[in-house]
Amino acid sequence: MSEQVRDTGMVLKIGHLYPTLMSVAADRGNLFSIQKRCQWRGIATEVEQIYVRQTPDFTKYDLILFHGGADREMELASRDIQAKVPSLIEAAESNTVFLSVCAGFQLLGHYYKPFQGPELKGVGLLDFYTEGGSTRFMTHMALECDFEQTGKKVLVGYENHSGRTYLGPKAQPLGKVIVGWGNNGKDGFEGARYRYVFGTYLHGPVLPKNPWFTDYLIQLALERRYGKVELAPLDDTIENAAHDAALQLAMEFKGTLSAIEATPWKR
Amino acid sequence: MIKEDTHNRPVTPSGLGRARLALAISAGKLAGASGRLLGVGGGTSLPGLIARRIDPNVLKSVVGASQARKIVITGSNGKTTTARMTAAMAVSNGKRVSHNRAGSNMLQGVTAVAVNFADVFGRLNSDVLLFEIDEGTMPLVMPEIQPDVVVITNIFRDQLDRYGELYSVARALDKTLEDLPETSTILLNGNDPQVANFGQKAKAKRLFFGLESTEVGTPVPEQSADIIRCIHCQEDLVYEVAYMSHLGIYRCPNCGYTLPPLDIAATSIKLAPDGEGPTHVEMRTPQGNMTLEISLPGIHNVYNAAAAIGASLAAGFEKEQLPAALVDIKPAFGRLEKIQAGDQTIYLSFVKNPTSFNLILRLIAQHPGKKHVLLAASHTIVDGEDFSWLWDIDVEAVAQGIADVVCSGNKPEELAMRLKYAEIPVDKISLVEDREAALDAALKNAGPGGALYILSSYTPTNELRRIMQKRGWVKHTWQE
Repeated sequence: MSEQVRDTGMVLKIGHLYPTLMSVAADRGNLFSIQKRCQWRGIATEVEQIYVRQTPDFTKYDLILFHGGADREMELASRDIQAKVPSLIEAAESNTVFLSVCAGFQLLGHYYKPFQGPELKGVGLLDFYTEGGSTRFMTHMALECDFEQTGKKVLVGYENHSGRTYLGPKAQPLGKVIVGWGNNGKDGFEGARYRYVFGTYLHGPVLPKNPWFTDYLIQLALERRYGKVELAPLDDTIENAAHDAALQLAMEFKGTLSAIEATPWKR
Repeated sequence: MIKEDTHNRPVTPSGLGRARLALAISAGKLAGASGRLLGVGGGTSLPGLIARRIDPNVLKSVVGASQARKIVITGSNGKTTTARMTAAMAVSNGKRVSHNRAGSNMLQGVTAVAVNFADVFGRLNSDVLLFEIDEGTMPLVMPEIQPDVVVITNIFRDQLDRYGELYSVARALDKTLEDLPETSTILLNGNDPQVANFGQKAKAKRLFFGLESTEVGTPVPEQSADIIRCIHCQEDLVYEVAYMSHLGIYRCPNCGYTLPPLDIAATSIKLAPDGEGPTHVEMRTPQGNMTLEISLPGIHNVYNAAAAIGASLAAGFEKEQLPAALVDIKPAFGRLEKIQAGDQTIYLSFVKNPTSFNLILRLIAQHPGKKHVLLAASHTIVDGEDFSWLWDIDVEAVAQGIADVVCSGNKPEELAMRLKYAEIPVDKISLVEDREAALDAALKNAGPGGALYILSSYTPTNELRRIMQKRGWVKHTWQE
């Protein structure tokens, strides 16, 4: 990376929603991944952190990140985000790219009803609802995505959630489960998407070891501002090795109930 | 230092129960001995596993029959060193200690204390029983032990995949305190906003330990901090000083929640500038002030010392004998353990979460020169499956000081990728999954007379240590 990178003059504007409140599973790795992969291509990034009680105009961002948190944090975010709903919807309709993970994903749906306790209202940007289950889905995971621009690709990561998500007709799943539980452990789908709004239970974090997905999000976000964009290729030897290792690991768990029960004792 | 004495003690179980207990202990001991003979393990948890199979009440029977002071040390980080310091303080008070020393702190490892130290009749000849217990295992073990003193060091995010979310771990842990009798003492870290609020419903006496010096720490908590919101009203806490992760002097600007007055407090802290030397500390205690020289470096060891002093005073040890125990205390297995490997020096650190990783990275950054590093991580039951937390480590802050890194364990790609995104040049990173080959490659990087820094999760630390043991650089863990 030491060689001089030609400045493309492009700037990617990122809104990082609740960076401290919703950051339970080191999902800031997603931000690092986007920033570095832009920097290595001569694309500048500007990141704005958005906290509770702030109501920026979300249409100014090309990409919005919204990550996971524990139930307590999620409750706070659910209350706070109601004031942000109209602008978030406007941004989504104006092709802003969203990456939402775990609790952040759940809050983009209509509501989250915990196993115990009151229902948490979501943004309603994605057509689904989530109900808390009595057990947690915790395992290495792989899914097959099929986007128009990328073709069939595999997404890998780790899922850790007790919520069961059920999609309505207006949301499409992010992908088909190859290994893992996915949205509800029953219908074989994982995540959701609508326009350029993506939601997933995958963390690990999801972007670093799925460079193709990171680049897809970067490209969609840049094209919102700059029209058709070609991303310069990067040497992804390490990223692809991490992707393949995660996929191999996930495949070892195929057909098993939980990662913990299935882990062989290794010396 | 610690003897396996087995003499005259009253026996409680009788008849069949006694026979079963004797069988359980004998089988456990045998398993431990054969494990040591075969060199496959230090007899740390296998004896407990075998013994519990035969008599599930083995721990309860042995501990219940003993008149010893029972001290439990739990929390996310600092358990092993705090237990070590407390054991040294007990010994300096002339006490006989039984202790699960090798860091085997789940149910089987804790049971192994009963098996290893008791005679076949379940009799212990100890004045102090010291248990280091994994925070997630506490609800299982506490009813079997009924301790006199419980120390909670801190609660950090640690292996979320194993225990679920931070708050559920905390809730379960707090609940175990409710059943303690009035005669027991709970020692809580007052600098931890969550732990400081523990034991509200407990009958036992609560004491708080912590730091209250502004000579160390930072104005804001680091990125990996877990609890930075008020536990009562969810407002963001304001810190006067943050010592490590979310530990510090905090106050809620909304409801006023703040740390309780500290009973055992480090009021002055002088850390060694080179990251290696002793720390000089003034400690306030309910029995008067103490001047301490702690041979182990770093702010985390000030916490460990404060917790150990609190536990020792609560257990009734003489205050005068305590400081001596800290002067020449050696690092526990894999806690920045300094190992001589021919003319080279290895610093071995066991790291398991962002907090411990950041602590060690910051400490070694104070050592001179660019660092040659070996990182190792594995996904297993004990290490955890989910390695997301690698992205919460502040690698960026120390990247400039790193010469080269060998990545090992069964997760080397993930580690290498994390380093790449911290702008450590790819040609300085190598992937060597085999632990022995990785060690050799990293020692080669370090060069003649050089220093190697190993940061490694639990299983690879054991594996690497076993290799070093085979080469005669370190002793067996159970010989320490």
